[in-house]
This record gives sequence, structure tokens and C-alpha cells, in this order.
Amino acid sequence: MGFFSKLFGKNEEKLNPNHLYAPMAGAAVPVTEVPDPTFAEGMLGNGIAIIPTEGKVCAPCDATVDMMFTTGHAVSLVTEAGAEILIHVGLETVSLEGKPFKVHVASGDKVKKGQLLMEVDLEAVKAAGLNTITPMLVCNSADFNTFNTNVGAAVTNADVVIEIGK
Amino acid sequence: MKEFKHVIADPLGMHARPAGMLVKAVAPYASKITITAPTGTADAKRLMALMRLAAKQGMELTVTVDGADEEKAAAELQAFLAANL
Repeated sequence: MGFFSKLFGKNEEKLNPNHLYAPMAGAAVPVTEVPDPTFAEGMLGNGIAIIPTEGKVCAPCDATVDMMFTTGHAVSLVTEAGAEILIHVGLETVSLEGKPFKVHVASGDKVKKGQLLMEVDLEAVKAAGLNTITPMLVCNSADFNTFNTNVGAAVTNADVVIEIGK
Repeated sequence: MKEFKHVIADPLGMHARPAGMLVKAVAPYASKITITAPTGTADAKRLMALMRLAAKQGMELTVTVDGADEEKAAAELQAFLAANL
């Protein structure tokens, strides 16, 4: 069975721990297209980025919250498959000191795929002159032999954007 | 073993970008490098561990470098911290 038939298959009762779904609705692009070398050069790990159309950030899979940044602009998660995931909402958004962010989970929480992690006021980020593009990286991507990304113009939390395997 | 201290001067502290740059700076060295902050201890080659320290401006980091290339690794890391954090 091919990647796409798996993606759109009906048997979704049991989540595959190696599948990471889009954390935000919007366009999914290769991380190399992020206009920030820290992300584009893979310094923080391999992954994708979402150009969001909505300000809801949801869990890409079942996971444990490793760290919710106090500023609410980024979150790290550890999945059942051992992937260390970083979702960084917008670029340079650490400088906003949490203002446009509303945090819904805390470090140590167990979360389910699709659970709301944080909300961001995208217009406020844009008004501050910052880019809302949101990289989602697997920080320990080097630990996985298989690493496939699936980008597209319109993704939601129902679409797998990263598939990993040992 | 080499040990030195660094007080974080950057107003934003240890966020994703400096943590990523730090991992990249120490990756070529074989030595075991540990960073201890008041908030915990992290392997300097593990990005998530570094971010988990949530080290803020004014916090003192204690860095230990242990291994065959410790002299060079410690010098590089000390210069990195002075320039970036």
C-alpha cells in the first residue's frame, strides 16, 4: 500500500506513532523554504513548516509535552516513537514575550493527537513585523532511518506531513 | 576535565536559535560536554535538553568538558557563549 493510500485510508482508529500530522491549518512547505538559516539549514533538525491560516496549534500525534516555553511561542514534544519534536510558532517570536500567545498545556502533560497546545494571534504577529511561518522539526531526525515529508498547499490536522521510521 | 562558568547576558536567554547554534558548535568534538544551570543539567549535544534548561538572562551556567579534545572544545564553547549568550 502506498503512502497516499495510507494517508487517506479509512482505518484511522489506531494512530501510527510514526506519523506526524500538521500542527496548524495552512500550507505545508519544505523546511528549506523557511527564510531563517537556523531552520532552513536543519540546525535544529529536519522537518516541514506551515504557513498558517488559523491560529490554533494542535498536537501532531500522541505525545508528552517536553517543554512549553514560558513565552508560549514554541513547544517541544516527545512521541511514543521517541521522536523529539519542536514546533516553533513564527520566526523571531521569542521577542514578543508571550503577548500574542495563549498556552493550553504545560510541560509534562500527556496530549492526544489534535489536542490544542496553544493559540496565536496571527494578525498581532504580522503587525509586529514578524513572519508567522511555523516550522515543525524532529530535533533527533538523525536517529531515524526513514524520514519522509509530505507538503501541500492546504493541510489540516487530518493530514500526515512527516513520516518517520527506525 | 575542563570547567568554566558563563553568566547569560542575552536578554532572551537560551531559546531555540542559540541552543541550535550551540549544538552545532560542539557537535564536532568527541568530549562529553555538560551544561548545568540553576534549572537543571543538560548534555550540550542534545538540543531538547538544552532548551529544557530554559536558562534566562543572569543565570550562571557551569560547563564541564571531559575528553581527549577537551582543551579545544572548551575554548570553542567559551568563545561561543561569550559571543552568543
